[in-house]
Amino acid sequence: MKPHEPISAGVSQDTPDSTPRAGLSVGRRTVLKTIAAGAVASLAAPYIRPASAAPTQLRALMWEGYLLPDVIAAFEEKHGVTFSPTFFDGNSEAYNKLRVGGTKDFDLVQADGFWPSLYFREKLIRTVDYAKIPATQHLFPVFKPAEFKLLTDATTGSDFGVPFCWGSYGTTYNADVVPAEKAASIELLFDPAYAGRLSTSARFEENIALAGILVATRMGTIDKPRPNGKPFNPYDLTDEELAGVEKLLIEQKPLLLTRYQDNATLAQLLESGAIVAAPEFAQTYRLLLAKKAKGEIDTTFAHTLVPKEGGLGWVDTWLVSSGVPDGATLDVCQSFIDTMITPETMKKVALASGCSTTIDIRALSTPEEQALYLMDRTGELSKMYMFDQPSSTEKWERVWSRMQAA
Amino acid sequence: MKGRWAGRALLGVPTVFLLALFVLPLLSMVVLSFWRTENYHIVQDWNLGNYITLATGGAYVTFLIRSLVMAGVVSLVCILIAWPVSYAIILYGGRYRLLLTLAFAVPFLTGEVLRVIALQGLLGPVGLINAVLMALGSAPLRFIMYTNVASAIGLVYLYLPIVVTVIYLSLLNFDARLIDAAKIFGASPLRAFVEVTWPLNLFGTLIGFVLCFIPCLSATLVPRFLGGANGTLYGMAMAQQFGESGTWALGAAMGVVLFLTSIIAVLLVGMRVDLRRTGFTGFGRG
Repeated sequence: MKPHEPISAGVSQDTPDSTPRAGLSVGRRTVLKTIAAGAVASLAAPYIRPASAAPTQLRALMWEGYLLPDVIAAFEEKHGVTFSPTFFDGNSEAYNKLRVGGTKDFDLVQADGFWPSLYFREKLIRTVDYAKIPATQHLFPVFKPAEFKLLTDATTGSDFGVPFCWGSYGTTYNADVVPAEKAASIELLFDPAYAGRLSTSARFEENIALAGILVATRMGTIDKPRPNGKPFNPYDLTDEELAGVEKLLIEQKPLLLTRYQDNATLAQLLESGAIVAAPEFAQTYRLLLAKKAKGEIDTTFAHTLVPKEGGLGWVDTWLVSSGVPDGATLDVCQSFIDTMITPETMKKVALASGCSTTIDIRALSTPEEQALYLMDRTGELSKMYMFDQPSSTEKWERVWSRMQAA
Repeated sequence: MKGRWAGRALLGVPTVFLLALFVLPLLSMVVLSFWRTENYHIVQDWNLGNYITLATGGAYVTFLIRSLVMAGVVSLVCILIAWPVSYAIILYGGRYRLLLTLAFAVPFLTGEVLRVIALQGLLGPVGLINAVLMALGSAPLRFIMYTNVASAIGLVYLYLPIVVTVIYLSLLNFDARLIDAAKIFGASPLRAFVEVTWPLNLFGTLIGFVLCFIPCLSATLVPRFLGGANGTLYGMAMAQQFGESGTWALGAAMGVVLFLTSIIAVLLVGMRVDLRRTGFTGFGRG
């Protein structure tokens, strides 16, 4: 439409014999169309926004344990956005969600280990700008892009994630019952001496990977050249190793009281003495230590961070979905990440979730907290095998099902 | 004319509902079951691989047999408990009959997850039962801690209210004067029950059985939280395919097998019953 063009309905104003009524007449259909268009526009308006417009909602696919209501509320108020989290348990679950259109449903995503690089390869997440996330300057050196390569695209050098929390899948054990030298090995989890007093998580990937490290150690294949020419990775096992894992996990079944589904159950089982050892992310261990310090329990618990055969490790990260365009939404996403990794927030995250932080919060922590949250042990990360995608989920699923049915 | 349109609308809405929310998802599941997955990717490659895996894998047949046995046992236990309970409510409930029946539905006011987790707390090593036993100096009951028995208890707890309600409704519509008639003609109370009350309420009992059997067959939460290392049931294994392992096509094939198994189970139960003798009037008097 040209500027200042008069709006006429049906009859031109130039028509000599046009009456004023005709010039102003508006047909019933036109009215109905206008009303309908107006109604549709008003209904759709909240959902139709230019890409550059400031977002009103920030949608995150994240682990529930990292939700800090007070921090979120302050962020919402400051930026005028509503934070909408969706929670998941394992990486594969989040990956499945993203693959089936989740990049349009989420702005922020969490993942750990090698999963962010897989997401980036499959264009599920996008690059982020560390300059817009100033709190990254507080990262421990081992988690800065110069040393921590898992979140940097080797080709372009662009960063696609920000480290958040880290830990291992070590063994928490009752130190009054289990000697430290036994707890230093994965063999503890398969020791008949503790039959009925062991537990593992219900996560199939980590059960198979951890058993894979032990099987490869026993078979002597852990240090040998691999068929794929790469160093040993417990998430990429040969068929012989997988067969060994299946046998080992079947042998383990009668030794387990149960496979715990959540940390609360694990804490109860350990605290009551029903079980004496279980692999976990050290969150339960820290919870039990806190109870011991308050005098609520008498049992002494200890945690093996990395077993002597090698252990599994993880670094939880914040990622931005590929559905987020450059501009205001990306700025808010990066601002959110920045808020979440400030030392003050990270201290709260550590206390609430029981996780070690990638941000140096030693200045805010007591010597006991520094020891408890492994702040001087970040270097041990290099000895761990990072959480990864199984080389063949189909093969791993068969192993797990056969074990469950045995 | 108006009546015809009303009839069409009344039948049309549920038909569209069933087509959109039942038939279409089921068809998509059937289609997916003939494809395959490869490391979290769906490959549209028509094949029978998933069904061959289910038939020859051994593990999946084991899960199905475990679930059939579990569902059968749990449904029978529910019927055995629900009958005397419903009968007692009918006989002695008086004006509180409905209230007593509704009381059974109270657990439904909370979510299933909450009820299962509460039961885990009750049956577990530090649960109420074992805590009391240990406080009294007895050994804890290991058979209720993370075992198939614990799963069975959980399933009975979850589905008993449904069975009680169904049998109660069946008994409510039963003409009790027939028992009096049987007694007048010399039948003992037991014979009156076996030859009059039971057969005339068999259809309601079967509905209760099926409404318990079918969800038990696909139970996921109960075996996961209560079943322990040896308690994997078919529904739990199927849910695993759609969750962490991402082997959706195999999961879809498992779903199709479960659907067919459920239908066969219902038909097997239905075929052994003469519906007309049970007082079911849907087929007319014949």
